[in-house]
Amino acid sequence: MKTKCIHNDLIFYLDNELSVEKKIAVEKHLEECADCRGFLAFLKEGIQIIDREKKPEVSPFFYTRLSARLDEKSETQAQSQWVRLAQPAFFSFVLLAGIYGGLKLGSNASSPKINQQVTSSVQMLNDFAAEPIESFLLDGL
Amino acid sequence: MDEAQLIKGIQQGDRKSFHILVETYQRMVVNTCLGIVHNKADAEDLAQDVFLEIFRTAENFRGDAKLSTWLYRIATNRSLNLIRNNKRKRFFQSIEETFIGGRNRTSEISENRADQPDQNITDQQRSDMLHRAMDRLPEKQRIAFTLNKYEELPYQQIAEVMEISLASVESLIHRAKKNLQEQLLDCYKKKCV
Repeated sequence: MKTKCIHNDLIFYLDNELSVEKKIAVEKHLEECADCRGFLAFLKEGIQIIDREKKPEVSPFFYTRLSARLDEKSETQAQSQWVRLAQPAFFSFVLLAGIYGGLKLGSNASSPKINQQVTSSVQMLNDFAAEPIESFLLDGL
Repeated sequence: MDEAQLIKGIQQGDRKSFHILVETYQRMVVNTCLGIVHNKADAEDLAQDVFLEIFRTAENFRGDAKLSTWLYRIATNRSLNLIRNNKRKRFFQSIEETFIGGRNRTSEISENRADQPDQNITDQQRSDMLHRAMDRLPEKQRIAFTLNKYEELPYQQIAEVMEISLASVESLIHRAKKNLQEQLLDCYKKKCV
């Protein structure tokens, strides 16, 4: 009678993590079962890929590239630091200039001298009093 | 130059110390990232990000753990972040392809492999199969398995890197192997390679 397949133990068998009794039982089963032998070979080939992949050769320009990135980063950092200081200073100046200008305009607008000037200029514009429309129309006749 | 001197130098912005650190650990960091992302170019880019982070945050290193433990921690976190970002991108790309229509990726792959000899195709297929199986592992199992298999780290150091107990590491690696075996068995039965 064929014994039950032991697929679940094979990865631990490969890694030598089974107890002595279990290891003997697995080896005995492998002698009889072609399916388990096939899967063991498949598993072994799959796991061996890790051994082939690991410890790759690192690019010889690794540090050169890293160093360039570091320089670039510190340059942008210095630049951004300058921008970080200059930007609020500039906007504060514009804001203060705006407030000062606004106050100046406001104080000029509320002075009586300006009010007078505005009134007189309005009076000058109102020339109907000087030349009524009737006389203007009569001039044309 | 020992670890403490190296770190002190980097904390003071000394490029020479940084160069020594990179030369000493670059292979280890690239290998760790490669075990998670399975692409050499991505692994090298990630390793560079790891070293840049080390240079930038060196003053935070208190020396409680080994320098290599710190490097492993940053490398695994950055690699997982890249995988998450790629997954998100693929998700949106698939939506875009569904609604707008995109290039057929299967034909793209077969075009790339057209000039490879049969043996290489089988090796490549086997490698793809293993990577797919590893990518399906839950994140913690994948990290523990990668550190153990690619970097051959002892369980104790994996526990320090992952900041978990030794028993948890044993359990994670055991479950990772079982899951991997299940997926490979499935593939073996379906004769996918």
